[in-house]
Amino acid sequence: MTETSGSNQGLLNIGEQAKPPVAVLPAPSALFKSRAVRLAALAPGHDLEPYLRFLARLTEAQHAAAAALPAANGPLETVTRNDVPPLADARDTCSDEARAAITSVLDHLGEADLPEAAVSAIRSLRAAPAGVIEALALRVLRADPAADEGEDTVAPDVAQLALVAAGLQVHFSRLAAKLDVGSLDSVAGNACPACGSAPVASAIVSWPRASNTRFCACSLCGTMWHVVRVKCVLCSSTAGITYHAIEGKPDTVKAECCEACHAYVKVVNQTQDPALEPLADDVATLGLDMLMREAGWKRGGRNPFLLGY
Amino acid sequence: MNVEVSRRHFIKLTGAGVAVTAVGAFGFADAEQALAQSIRPFKLAKLTETRNTCPYCSVGCGVIMYSQGDIKTGEKAEIKHIEGDPDHPTNKGTLCPKGAALLDFVRSETRTLHPLVREPGTNAWTQLTWDQALDRIARLMKDDRDANFIAKNKDGVTVNRWISTGMLAASATTNETAFMTYKAVRSAGMVVFDNQARV
Repeated sequence: MTETSGSNQGLLNIGEQAKPPVAVLPAPSALFKSRAVRLAALAPGHDLEPYLRFLARLTEAQHAAAAALPAANGPLETVTRNDVPPLADARDTCSDEARAAITSVLDHLGEADLPEAAVSAIRSLRAAPAGVIEALALRVLRADPAADEGEDTVAPDVAQLALVAAGLQVHFSRLAAKLDVGSLDSVAGNACPACGSAPVASAIVSWPRASNTRFCACSLCGTMWHVVRVKCVLCSSTAGITYHAIEGKPDTVKAECCEACHAYVKVVNQTQDPALEPLADDVATLGLDMLMREAGWKRGGRNPFLLGY
Repeated sequence: MNVEVSRRHFIKLTGAGVAVTAVGAFGFADAEQALAQSIRPFKLAKLTETRNTCPYCSVGCGVIMYSQGDIKTGEKAEIKHIEGDPDHPTNKGTLCPKGAALLDFVRSETRTLHPLVREPGTNAWTQLTWDQALDRIARLMKDDRDANFIAKNKDGVTVNRWISTGMLAASATTNETAFMTYKAVRSAGMVVFDNQARV
């Protein structure tokens, strides 16, 4: 049967077979640009308008950095071995290239018209010695509970962490882009097959030959990986999955809740609205997180620009 | 499998530490506060997506049924939409025209919701209970089998066949259900028997 396209308003693409790939690698030249465009489009009239505009600017800086940085060396490991994603080793160190990416994002971001707190975070990060930046980077990259526990006497500056994460996103998306998608294997619902990081959110995509399937979006490298729908991406449970949306508002972004682990990860439905972008729309639907927190649910998606939620 | 919620997030969620969020840390606490205020009057709506098998034929296509409300917690639930399950190995998200019209099947006003009987010589359907219906079917089957059962053919060979009653069994069943149905029906001698609805 020939493929059909179009929205499903009353009509279903009943003949379109879904054959989703294991993963789709990021294209750094498009990833940040389209995210910045989406953030800017979400801003007007939004309660978080100044923050969304700031993130649009930060994402533009990521785009500029990705284009300006010298060609990255390919990663040492390029295939999944023993269920370990190829870029897992790269998350154990903060290389010179990673630091260069962080600096480049700061260079392109500038300081003009930013709030005092943001400016001071940028300045102290610029002045920080390599060791301090490395410590912040490792905190972002490892993101494991054990690392958080011991050192929490001096809580890191959240704004600095987010800026470092922005630089690392650029670096890792460039590394991931050099992988061969055919050599990747799925690892787990909650781990990126390229770098092993947690997802920001998941998206029900409208791509040809994968229509209506669900892909998780990596919070670090931007790779998207296939995960069966109506299944908890955190603990793989299929029992007791429900969806929460804000009553009376569009339900294109829903919180996929799992009664087994009592946490949720958002799902953005691109078949309903192709403009949705997992990271940008995760920030723009912070109101849903606020209501979910009040209802006692844990947030499971990792988004460096929503640290603290 | 580990749950990837960092301890730091969790401590902040439970209120054990002073919550510092990225939004506030970059100097946008006012906007964050405005959002918290404007979202306060809103409530959460609960939706479910449920996997099931299309009831029509023996292909057994997977479907996802979308409903509003959660029937498990005693809420009133209503099916809003049904579509092919893209993760199902049989149909990979596709549906035939009958499967695509499942929502109308669920909501159909003429859908049979309880056992009905039309007595011989009448044109009216009357409702009866499941017990009455099953007793009646068993009685009629027994009478018919007693009257028409063929133990031996004209050459005197034992055949034990019962050809005056037929049975059409379900399609969206498991192999095990189909096996049990086959054994039960064939052991009564019934020959006219099909276990899939190719209609």
